[in-house]
Amino acid sequence: MSETTADAHGAHDHHEGGFWSTYVFSTDHKMIAKQFLWLGLIMMVVGGILALIFRWQLAWPETQVWGFEWISDESEGMPEGYVTPNFYNMAVTMHATIMVFLVVMPILVGCFGNFLIPLMIGARDMAFPVLNMLSFWVAVLGAVIMSAGFLVEGGHAASGWTGYAPLSTVPEYSGVFMGQTLWALSLFVLSFSSLMGSINYITTLINMRTEGMTWFRVPLVVWSLFVTAILGLLALPILGSAAAMMIFDRAFETNFFNPAKGGEPLLWQHLFWYFGHPEVYILILPGMGIASELLPVFCRKPIFGYRAMVYAMLAIAFLSWIVWGHHMFQSGMNPALGSAFMMTTLVIAIPSAIKTFNWLGTLWGASMRFTVPMLHALAFVILFVIGGLSGIFMASNVVDIYIHDTYFIVAHFHYVIFGGSVFALFGGIQYWFPKMFGKAMDEALGKVHFWLTFIFFNMVFFPMHILGVGGHMRRIYNPMQYEFLQGMQPMNVMITLSAFALGLSQIPFVFNFFATVFRWNVKWFRVLTQAVSALVVGFIGYKSVAVMFEGLMEPEPSTGGRIVGTIVAIALAVWIYRYLEKNMAPLGADAPQNPWDANTLEWVAPTPAPHGNFGPTLPVVQRGPYEYSVPGEEADWAPQTEPIDPALAEAGH
Amino acid sequence: MMSWLPENISIEGEEIDFLFYISYYLTVVVFIMVAVAMGYFIIKYRAKPGVKAKYTHGNNTLEILWTVIPTLILLVFVLMTQTSWAKLKLAIPQNPHVRVEVTGKQFNWIVRYPGDDGKFGTKDDLVLDNQLNVPVNKQLFIALKGADVIHSFFVPQARMKQDVVPGRTIPLWFTPTKVGKYEIPCAELCGFGHSGMNGEFIVHSEADYAKWRKKAWAEKDK
Amino acid sequence: MNPVLEAPPKEELERWEGAPPPPPPEPPDDNGGNGNGGGDESQGSSPAGKPVLGNTQLAMLVLIAAEIMFFSGLIGAFLVFRFSGKPWPPPFQPRLPVEVTAVNTAFLLLSSYTMVRAQLALKRGDAKALPRLLTVTGVLGVVFLAIQGYEWVRLVNFGLSASANVYGSLFYTIIGTHGFHVLSAVAWLVAVLVRAHMGKYSARNPNGVVACAMYWHLVVGLWPVLFYLVYLL
Ligand code: HEA
Ligand code: HEA
Ligand code: CUA
Ligand SMILES: [Cu+2]
Repeated sequence: MSETTADAHGAHDHHEGGFWSTYVFSTDHKMIAKQFLWLGLIMMVVGGILALIFRWQLAWPETQVWGFEWISDESEGMPEGYVTPNFYNMAVTMHATIMVFLVVMPILVGCFGNFLIPLMIGARDMAFPVLNMLSFWVAVLGAVIMSAGFLVEGGHAASGWTGYAPLSTVPEYSGVFMGQTLWALSLFVLSFSSLMGSINYITTLINMRTEGMTWFRVPLVVWSLFVTAILGLLALPILGSAAAMMIFDRAFETNFFNPAKGGEPLLWQHLFWYFGHPEVYILILPGMGIASELLPVFCRKPIFGYRAMVYAMLAIAFLSWIVWGHHMFQSGMNPALGSAFMMTTLVIAIPSAIKTFNWLGTLWGASMRFTVPMLHALAFVILFVIGGLSGIFMASNVVDIYIHDTYFIVAHFHYVIFGGSVFALFGGIQYWFPKMFGKAMDEALGKVHFWLTFIFFNMVFFPMHILGVGGHMRRIYNPMQYEFLQGMQPMNVMITLSAFALGLSQIPFVFNFFATVFRWNVKWFRVLTQAVSALVVGFIGYKSVAVMFEGLMEPEPSTGGRIVGTIVAIALAVWIYRYLEKNMAPLGADAPQNPWDANTLEWVAPTPAPHGNFGPTLPVVQRGPYEYSVPGEEADWAPQTEPIDPALAEAGH
Repeated sequence: MMSWLPENISIEGEEIDFLFYISYYLTVVVFIMVAVAMGYFIIKYRAKPGVKAKYTHGNNTLEILWTVIPTLILLVFVLMTQTSWAKLKLAIPQNPHVRVEVTGKQFNWIVRYPGDDGKFGTKDDLVLDNQLNVPVNKQLFIALKGADVIHSFFVPQARMKQDVVPGRTIPLWFTPTKVGKYEIPCAELCGFGHSGMNGEFIVHSEADYAKWRKKAWAEKDK
Repeated sequence: MNPVLEAPPKEELERWEGAPPPPPPEPPDDNGGNGNGGGDESQGSSPAGKPVLGNTQLAMLVLIAAEIMFFSGLIGAFLVFRFSGKPWPPPFQPRLPVEVTAVNTAFLLLSSYTMVRAQLALKRGDAKALPRLLTVTGVLGVVFLAIQGYEWVRLVNFGLSASANVYGSLFYTIIGTHGFHVLSAVAWLVAVLVRAHMGKYSARNPNGVVACAMYWHLVVGLWPVLFYLVYLL
């Protein structure tokens, strides 16, 4: 992988060593980042499939889930592919738990945190490389414990990702035995992984910035990861202590949360949300950081209001500690507290507003390049705004009386988590891929993936606002059991169909990813990639036409629908096939050192960055991270190591 | 989106709907502003050969403006909400017309009506599963209790929702204004029977209500 | 012993791809960039860029912050029950041994004092005093644990159970968690002690001792708070 010569200290060196020390127990922050990436992507498939299973049940209640008919009828969860109510709850619970703790956190915090912090501040590695490696393997341990829960008697945790007591703490109430305990244990273990990560991130950032890398020259994504690390450091131990109490309640019959024996169920909610609200900002802050990083690069323009961005993040981090009660307006806690929590919740919208307007300011007067990372960053901004604005409804405690625990909430948080964090994640992967793997992911395939994901994301989650306004509760297994919801069932079908389309839309991404990592540029694989992507789009087109013809509740299209559908499908498939054929670059070709003409330090390092990141001397920083299109400079960018003429820089203030 | 709101049948619901509309208009306006600005910039400022991007680091006046304006808007919003919240949640009525006790128990709503003595826990109480009968236009006061796990009492048409917590008695009050039969889904995950935990909420006219009472107690005494 | 916190990044740097170790960083530019160099303080980076706190100390502070949050979760739970308005302690529960534990508290506080002396000895470069003072500290920790253990056994025999009511649950969880922390601290201290005997620490290389001492002080510092809450309040 590296172009440098063999190591003089061979005996001690384990980096150029065997397979195990290079790929498995590596202490190199870049390898650990990639490991986190793999962990997250694999778990994303699991979390996504769980979502598709329960979406099926919501659209076509109590029918066999396609593809699962083979399961024995002795199975507790899905006998012959039918979803049982407990399995439904379990699928929802584990979908959320996996997505939050084993997808978004490992990728946004684990992968990008590890990869970017040392590279962007000009350090050779994290402060404690061995601790860093441990942090990954402890996360894997957590993932293994979490996965083991699927196999135990009684099934996995089924009391929602929020695990409200006493449903979660008294096994008799839920019929779940080991599963819930393993769930809590896994969260406890994962909180350790996060703690180790935070120790490294914070120490590295404070002590190991290269010369000239003053705090206000630190790129915003690194700032966001710093703030995230602080939040994680302080929030996850709270989850740890709550999880420990849950484990004691279940295993040693203590009585923290069981009211039948003097416990207090609301205590769990307070602890969970005291952790939980900072947690949701842990999920979004790195996304905001990535957007703030990509927008200037592809606008060729300094970020608007750098300091305001930093202060807004600090404000969010601070305020996120005093809003947790907005999840509990209807919980039975003292209603007088409701007003205070509404107040604080709306205060936290203000730093978000500042960030949004500064992103818009960055777009103003730009010279935009619509690369795949840029598209994701733009999608991030608009989808985050939609998600944030729906948060305003719920922040009003009075409106929340009605929409609490409805799909309005589900719509809200998928817009911020999926529309926000996951779009940022995809954009970040595409953007830093050349530095991570030395090869660039394909732009054409990336565009197909982006547009499909963007369209179907909105088709899945926007209608959920409407369901929520109609009163549709969350976490119900069969909406047809309620008279007042039956009229909205077509919308559930539409959402499910779109969810399947959204799942299929990830296929071009998977192809793109693997082809690039493993350099599968052979002819047959290119054709396969084009063909599969074309088929995906064609199939979605066919289904859409069928639905337009027959309505949503009809399983079989009529002849007319079939014919028109086929024509549309072929047209779409041919279009996509031709588009890819024409525009796909050689898959996995070597990437240049700085493919995006970006300023920040990771692009100063060789590609792929060797162990130690930079040459014999560390770079010395001379200018801020976003000095694009500086008047009087020849190129519209320059690495941060280039001195800037102070007179020119002054012009922009 | 508005037409998706189920028909409102309570006085309190009007209050909630009003604030819902306010939130709706506020957020839609903000969204349109952001979306239009973004769309305009995306079209206007795409890369063109020979055109450099503007070199600017920001503008402090703008920063202050877009901090202060949302703050003021949200402040007004808070004030508007809080009077309603106080009315709906803090001003516990002293003399409601009808009192009932509803207990959430996996997976039923157990409704206890006091007899003519107006007291709970006496012999003449009537207990029904999953059926809440009330007269129209009378303030209804419910004491919510939980028997096992947390449930949530929800009447979508009345816009009323309140979690039911074991070990506590939580008050809930509203005034239904339209005769009819509605549903009481449980809105908080409470186990495998959560979906389908559903009661009937029957709002009678004054006369029907009296009739119902007579009949129900007669049946009970049998 | 936690080797991780020990590993000086210096080794890392030397391993760097066969290149010579990096030269000391140049003096900072006019922007006064702080935190350059990227090494532990023991590595002797240029004074201008010397961080206020070394990596090890900083990392320990971070860990301590996390520990405090963990305990505040438990303390929060305690306060919720303590002030829920029900009689406290609940009737028919054995009384907690306040006097013995107060004496025990003194032992623990004393151990912090001897730990400070050990740190001072290290600073002076007093190679003999260091292991001796560390031993005293460790012994005090063990005495604390032993007395706690003895009292626990007695309480169990008197019928204070974790499952009968919240009082017992809280007592065993909070005090047990703290006891576990003391145990870990003692284990760490033993490892440091062994290395101290081997002469691994010096005034210029104190990190192993400093980290352990910081953790020790945390564990000791938590105790009076917990003692006050659980035994006295
Ligand atoms: C990434 C995660 C993320 C983020 C960033 C947010 C951001 C916000 N959230 Fe969300 N939230 C969740 C994830 C997140 N949330 C999750 C997972 C849940 C459900 C948990 C569960 O129950 O399972 C939840 C639930 C939740 C609730 C509880 C609802 C209920 O259960 O009844 C509430 C209530 O107040 C809330 C509010 C908010 C607010 C006000 C913001 C704000 O920070 C948003 C601020 C942003 C904007 C407002 C947009 C940009 C601003 C402008 C364009 C400026 C102008 C605006 C105005 C003047 C209005 N959220
Ligand atoms: C990060 C968080 C995240 C993400 C990404 C998602 C993604 C999705 N969510 Fe989820 N969801 C939550 C977090 C998330 N969700 C949470 C917190 C809850 C609350 C749970 C609770 O109530 O307790 C919830 C609940 C929830 C519900 C409510 C269930 C209920 O209340 O009954 C629904 C309903 O439709 C839903 C649907 C979906 C769908 C269709 C997707 C789809 O978008 C999924 C599509 C994705 C895929 C099909 C995977 C594709 C694979 C790849 C991209 C991998 C590439 C791999 C390689 C290169 C190797 N989710
Ligand atoms: Cu009862 Cu849900
Ligand atoms: Cu929140």
